[in-house]
Amino acid sequence: MTAAIPVIRQTAALAWRSIVTTIRLPQAWFPALFFPLVLMAIFTASFGGAPGTIPGFPPMRSFLDFAVSGAIIQGVLIGGTSAGAAFATDIEGGFFDRLVASPTSRTSILTGRLGASIALGVGQALLFIAIAAIFGARVDGGLIGIIVVVVIATLFAAAVGGLGIFLALRTGSGEAVQGMFPLFFALLFFSSAFFPLDTMVGWYHDVAALNPITYLVESMRREIIGGATIWTALTGIGIALGLALITVGASALALRRRLRVSA
Amino acid sequence: MKGLAVSLGLAGRNLLLVRRVPSVFIPSLIMPLFILIATSGAFHGIGALPEFAGASYLAFTIPMAATMGAGFAGINSGMTVARDLEGGFFDRLQSSPAPRVALIMGPMFAALVRSIFTTTIVFIAGLIGGVWLPGLLPLLLIYGFALLFGACASCWAIGVALRARTVQAAPIMQLVVFLSVFMSVAYVPASALHGWLGNVAGLNPVTYILTASRSAELTGSIIWSETWPGLVAGFALLILLGIFALAPLRHLENR
Repeated sequence: MTAAIPVIRQTAALAWRSIVTTIRLPQAWFPALFFPLVLMAIFTASFGGAPGTIPGFPPMRSFLDFAVSGAIIQGVLIGGTSAGAAFATDIEGGFFDRLVASPTSRTSILTGRLGASIALGVGQALLFIAIAAIFGARVDGGLIGIIVVVVIATLFAAAVGGLGIFLALRTGSGEAVQGMFPLFFALLFFSSAFFPLDTMVGWYHDVAALNPITYLVESMRREIIGGATIWTALTGIGIALGLALITVGASALALRRRLRVSA
Repeated sequence: MKGLAVSLGLAGRNLLLVRRVPSVFIPSLIMPLFILIATSGAFHGIGALPEFAGASYLAFTIPMAATMGAGFAGINSGMTVARDLEGGFFDRLQSSPAPRVALIMGPMFAALVRSIFTTTIVFIAGLIGGVWLPGLLPLLLIYGFALLFGACASCWAIGVALRARTVQAAPIMQLVVFLSVFMSVAYVPASALHGWLGNVAGLNPVTYILTASRSAELTGSIIWSETWPGLVAGFALLILLGIFALAPLRHLENR
């Protein structure tokens, strides 16, 4: 127990450093807030007439309710990419080597950065729900619904953060990590993040149906628009947890490999 | 005449960079294709709204993807100018007897050539998706509107590059071009827009460019009442952004 305390302290200190660095660099946080909110506003104004009108799109209070979960996932994806790029910058700039040379716990190097990604993901989810609420959106599931949405966003932030750290450790290049952004963006579009799966056709529908992001978004969306059950919530939480375990595990292995190579 | 020769020489140099620095330019070639596939695939269902009058949503999206592709080409011309400013090539050009306007026209010509290429890619993708070409004159009109928007985006991006003198200004170039397209009739016709976007799109010149281009694509003919507002809006925007791009050249000479 006493051995764990320094790790927790170091994790908190490194997470805090990452959060402060992110806040100080507008290019690190601005896209993760601006683009999802602007797209949410544009899609709401463009597709407002769709719910209950077109086949496959059930009636609901408003398209804004439908759009919130996609915006949260998009924000977490962009934020996670920036966090991964920032970690790669730490590697490029030598901060990572100084950390390794110090008596800092190896675990906290990983958990510190992950902690920052998770904190930013939680902040984004709450902020997006609050902003959408100002413009009339409501979470049908109430407080429990908000908790489920935030838990899924948290786990997904850990998954994206883990992937960002993995890429940063393997490439050591911020540009290479940022270069993955178009792929993430494609993953988002080839899912039901912005429009219902039942309105899609052909191969596009099949790809979206295989995309795990579809199920994360749908799980969050059920909490917001209504129709959530314990199973829809557990599906989203389970998929986000699975993705987080895979990417965090991969980043731990990448860290071990990098330490072994540099030793 | 000399200005034209210098412009064409600079355009050729810009186009060579496509081959030499592919990591910078390949995304701008792929993005219009991605926009076409992702938009028409994800929002396929919206085509069932009565405002679409039964039109194919893929056909509806083609002019937007072509316009966006030209916009990306325009952004890249600004990024090239910014790189040349950072690397000192622009200073050498300024100290040469080359006409100043050629420093802008060269990268813009290169953007127009790339716009023709990206628009062709979009049409080929449309053909693969089952949307036949709309006929020669409407096709040329769609190319024309894409080039017009590409020229506008190029002037904007070059104007930003000449003021910022760094490629780090690229997000500003991109953001404005993205928003100008997205805050128009990019996804649905004007009659289907709700609330604030209806008002913003009404004031956005890109709305009229897209409406004219889309009319040619969907009807297979040139409907003058929908074409002239696009021409007026596009050329007015080009004149304004041309002034925006040219203005800093005189200032640069004094640095």
